[in-house]
Amino acid sequence: MALRGVWQLKKLIVSYCDWGGSSRGIRAFMESELPTFKEKNPQLEVVTELIRGQHPHLKGFYKNKNERVVCVKNMTPEDILLYGTRLRNALGRKVVKLKTRHVTKHPSVQVMMATLLKHSLFGGE
Amino acid sequence: MAHRRCLHSALLHGTALISLKKSPPLSIVNALTPKPNPVITTSNLEPSWFTPWSYVRHFSSRKSDDSENEAEMEDSSDVEEESDEMASDMVRDYSPGEKEAEAAAIGYKVVGPLQRSDRVFKDYEPVFAVVQIGSHQFKVSNGDSIFMERLKFCEVNDKLILNKVLLLGSPTQTIIGRPILPDAAVHAVVEEHALDAKVIIFKKKRRKNYRRTKGHRQELTKLRITYIQGIEKPEIKTDGKPLKAADKKPEKIAAIAQERFSPHGFVLQNNGCLC
Repeated sequence: MALRGVWQLKKLIVSYCDWGGSSRGIRAFMESELPTFKEKNPQLEVVTELIRGQHPHLKGFYKNKNERVVCVKNMTPEDILLYGTRLRNALGRKVVKLKTRHVTKHPSVQVMMATLLKHSLFGGE
Repeated sequence: MAHRRCLHSALLHGTALISLKKSPPLSIVNALTPKPNPVITTSNLEPSWFTPWSYVRHFSSRKSDDSENEAEMEDSSDVEEESDEMASDMVRDYSPGEKEAEAAAIGYKVVGPLQRSDRVFKDYEPVFAVVQIGSHQFKVSNGDSIFMERLKFCEVNDKLILNKVLLLGSPTQTIIGRPILPDAAVHAVVEEHALDAKVIIFKKKRRKNYRRTKGHRQELTKLRITYIQGIEKPEIKTDGKPLKAADKKPEKIAAIAQERFSPHGFVLQNNGCLC
């Protein structure tokens, strides 16, 4: 995710447990795929955190102070990589149903011309 | 259902032949294997070929028997069909050439290089283009955002060139493509690959004890349009704008323009508030 070229995900916290079975996937992910993920995204600060006795999750912190948490218990390393990539690809905006697919500040080019004409009508007479 | 009935009748004909000849050529046998023949008994044909079907009983047109038929049919035919389908459905590793070809053909885009400190995000220009990506068309201008179906072969912060442009418009000129303009291009940057909000698909048949709930999240790509090329843009901060009547503009405004503004005369001064 990059708003006007600026990456939006600032920090990713990878929380895992070293004892639990639900963390098996994420432990494998940390050994196999996390280093490459870190290299591909040098702008991103990736932190691993140990939380004993709890299920593993990924926490993403965005520039608009938004936090997204994804629980990755009992997932394969490939799935965890997919979720991590999704977090990185997304903006921090709230996930709501889209009103329109085309977001613009200037919906009409003709408005400009009309306003020009209007001003001219009043001012130029 | 019609398919099965055709097969059924075809089989009946086939087996009539077989029972006469008593030594079926292999081609007919292979064609007939998907469905067990109700009429034939094991005595007519070679037992080795018919051992899987030896426990077959006479089939009527009742539904229960049809379902059993289907089950047996599916066992043999599914194995062959599934492998074909699976190959196409599963994620394929595309070669770079293939990627570009598919991207160009399906999505009408060419992936350019990644951005590195390019000054791509310019101010708004009063120029628009109608561009088609996949099956959707958008009227875009500089600085707009577009939410699209997920574009496969591009990452976030990639530059794209959308080359299927159908119409270009500016205050001075309009170019209409038939159906595409070959020289025009619209530059865009991929901002985001995200999932849409969850839509719950709820199916119910009343009084029939049938209720299904399914969640769906569509994968979207957000593009930001940066530049439109292929049309002459109006120059801002010049002495006079050339006022040619463009095709697309409504005739009222064009008429007014011609009435009000003499060739010498009207100087559109930019106070900064208009443009």
